Amino acid sequence: MANLMRTSALVGALVWSAVPALAEDINITVWAGGSNDSDSYRIEAIEIAADILEREYSIWGEEVNITVEGRRDFTGWDEFKQGVTLGAEAGTAPSIVVTSHLDIAPWSQAGYIVAVEDYVDLDAWPLSNVYPNLMEIASYAGAQWGIPQDSESRPFFYWRETMAALGYDEDQIDALPDMVASGEYTLANVLEDATKAVEMGLVEEGYGFYPRPSNGPDYAQFYQSFGGQLVDPETGKLVLDVEAMTEFYQFFVDAVAAGVTRQNHIGTDWNQWYNEVANGRAAFWHGGTWHFGRYATEGNDDFWGTIQFSLIPAGDEDGRANTITHPLVYLVMDQEDDRIEEIAAQLVTIATEPRLNSLHAIQSNHLAVAEAQADIDLYRGNRWASEATEVLLASANAQPNHLDYGAYSEAMFRGLEAAWTGVQTPEEAVAEVEAQMRATIGDQLIVR
Amino acid sequence: MKTRLLAFGFLSPALIAVFFFFLLPVLLTVVFAFTNMSTSTGIMGGAYQINETQMGSLRDTEVSPESIEKLEGAGYLISEAGLAALAEEFGEDTAEELRDDYLGETFAARRDLERVLRNLDDPIRNTRDRKAAADLFVSTVIGERFDTAEDFRAALVETGIDPADHDLLTEFAYTGWTWTTANFSLLAELPSTMRYASNTAFYVVCTLTFNILFGLFLAISTFYLPGRLANTFRAIWFLPRILPPVLYVLMWNWFTWDRGFIATVAGWFGAPQQNWMLHTSTHAWTAVILINGFVGASLGMILFSSAIKAIPTSMLYASEVDGANRWQQVRYIILPQMRWPILFMTSYQTLSLLTSFEYILLATDGGPGRSTEVWALAAYHTALNNYGGNLQYGLGAAYALALVFIGIALSILYLRFFNFKELLSKPRIEQ
Repeated sequence: MANLMRTSALVGALVWSAVPALAEDINITVWAGGSNDSDSYRIEAIEIAADILEREYSIWGEEVNITVEGRRDFTGWDEFKQGVTLGAEAGTAPSIVVTSHLDIAPWSQAGYIVAVEDYVDLDAWPLSNVYPNLMEIASYAGAQWGIPQDSESRPFFYWRETMAALGYDEDQIDALPDMVASGEYTLANVLEDATKAVEMGLVEEGYGFYPRPSNGPDYAQFYQSFGGQLVDPETGKLVLDVEAMTEFYQFFVDAVAAGVTRQNHIGTDWNQWYNEVANGRAAFWHGGTWHFGRYATEGNDDFWGTIQFSLIPAGDEDGRANTITHPLVYLVMDQEDDRIEEIAAQLVTIATEPRLNSLHAIQSNHLAVAEAQADIDLYRGNRWASEATEVLLASANAQPNHLDYGAYSEAMFRGLEAAWTGVQTPEEAVAEVEAQMRATIGDQLIVR
Repeated sequence: MKTRLLAFGFLSPALIAVFFFFLLPVLLTVVFAFTNMSTSTGIMGGAYQINETQMGSLRDTEVSPESIEKLEGAGYLISEAGLAALAEEFGEDTAEELRDDYLGETFAARRDLERVLRNLDDPIRNTRDRKAAADLFVSTVIGERFDTAEDFRAALVETGIDPADHDLLTEFAYTGWTWTTANFSLLAELPSTMRYASNTAFYVVCTLTFNILFGLFLAISTFYLPGRLANTFRAIWFLPRILPPVLYVLMWNWFTWDRGFIATVAGWFGAPQQNWMLHTSTHAWTAVILINGFVGASLGMILFSSAIKAIPTSMLYASEVDGANRWQQVRYIILPQMRWPILFMTSYQTLSLLTSFEYILLATDGGPGRSTEVWALAAYHTALNNYGGNLQYGLGAAYALALVFIGIALSILYLRFFNFKELLSKPRIEQ
């Protein structure tokens, strides 16, 4: 009896000690910046991935319990980025973040993030299927730091009815994307048509060309339209093309002078802006691929019948029609425990499965990150996603991952603002931008 | 002695608060201002690494070209030492196969070597193992991160780089912040510095004038109103101060935006729709000064009102007997007695306006065209707000430090100029 008891106690102790030893509990926290309800799959895809990964481990014979905790209720990018960086300093950073690819340069330098390539095989599915240019955008200084989470691009929009009233027939309006891509229809034509639209009373004064009301990657597109280059591919240094920058500022100044854009446009309320462009108050404007969904909520049920879209037209013969994609990326943050980094990297890899990523792409009106998504019914069945991918994504470039790009883009926008609002002439504004950039960026800048 | 200790006891919460909320931030500002601290350097210290993009800048240093070439040429070298380690961990066959095909070869990136390991006849199947195996052959420091200078130097020794260059390379590889005075020379050099300074001066002078005059006007006009009515008016004018700034400015935004109150009313009279806050820099300044002015004026009103109440009513009665009208009462009785409260408000508000930016941030964010960007807002934008991600903590602190100095200088000036002792003495009225 005593023996039996001893044996069962021993067995009990063994079972008791063996089970927790086998099971491994991993807590993964995911913070997604700039995300609203329609972006919920940035976090939910990781939850689904956790379920799959647990099953994979279980088949390998390891019991891993992954708990995913997500957070996206940040008031803005500032709060999110401060939370992440200060958390990283204090050792309480989340395991995975969804953020702008521009954060890769400073965060990798500061040691806040770890390269995903240290944990996962980039040559294996699904990462091998991600568009190479997007993978490139998530890499920096020769290492693959992150995995693209979504892609988008920033098209130029036209209100069809206004275009028709300006004398373009249906076929010509349909041909606009091609005409823009080939450089036949340029920003000079935009200015001309917008002026006409205002003169004919088709749109109110200031509503001919109705740009984005705040700073963003979008404005670098207009610099590129006039032949500007953001980064020198040879040396990796940032480029200030004085002529292109001046022409780019001049375009906005001309638009104000012609009465097609308001001088006080910057700072317009975003809600007001969305409502106006979605309902035809503006003739031309520019935005992002995710605007498609927003226009519907603003009461425009017939996007295809009312709006045309294209690349941002070239400014002149030196420039090119272009669009910038500003993908968000999954980054794995540095942790005390390497095992968490490894699991986190495996999770973001699984979340990149075409089927999982398509859930996010379609729900939030973003574009695909992997080639195979074009063959997923959910993605292919969405006209906007397919057409936008076709028209825009092939010509899309991104802003450079560079430590000083933040200073560069701030200076560029400040200069634009000063010229646009009439505080300085374009030449004065560019001269000040140059001085500012030379002082803050120094030897990482090439002035042409 | 005991009472002195007791006094300290009572003071201690205040002393602790002063230390943590005033002295420490000021000290940290001073420290930060003399560093090149940014997001990319981190705050708590750095590590040692040289990555591919830094190789360009490395050529501008005095590191010898041979060392740079050596650094660039290094990668993942299939050496006997590495193979021996591989044989031990992953089996003799794998090592043998790799030796036969690749001995002496260098792979530029780990990914290239991983591909080879994956495609061996006897491949290393697990991703984690493959990476560990590849790491056995590492002979480069490029892209590797070392926590301490010793680790970094040890790695340099292994790669066989000329020891003469080790010091320079170690210094170059440090990712953390370093001490520097460059922030101040940069401030002196930037064309925007003067603009922000003059914006600040303009903002402080205009807002202050509005604060004091309007506060005085409110205090004097409510003084002559019957008690209950006066209190109601004071309560209404006190609203801007007790409302949360976000809500208060939001109301201003509704009031002034393109389809807001002013635009709608002006529209009835045929005025074109426009944003009354951001239309021109004049509009923006008007809005900024009014928004801040009303907040300051309400404080002035309370302070001045109580000061007026302290004036013995007998003096006012006597003046009325002498046939003085309201204006004469204000001019010859009230205003002269208000000198000290006015001076106090002026000095207090100058200091608080110099450093305040939250209402401007919420209202115009420095626009249009940075025309309402004041010094404190520029400090905030530099240190804590940047679309591209690399926040300049050091430069932002240098901006802030300039304000600290101006603030301290002004305080000393005020204390001397206004004779602080006299301010603290008993009111003359009661003498």
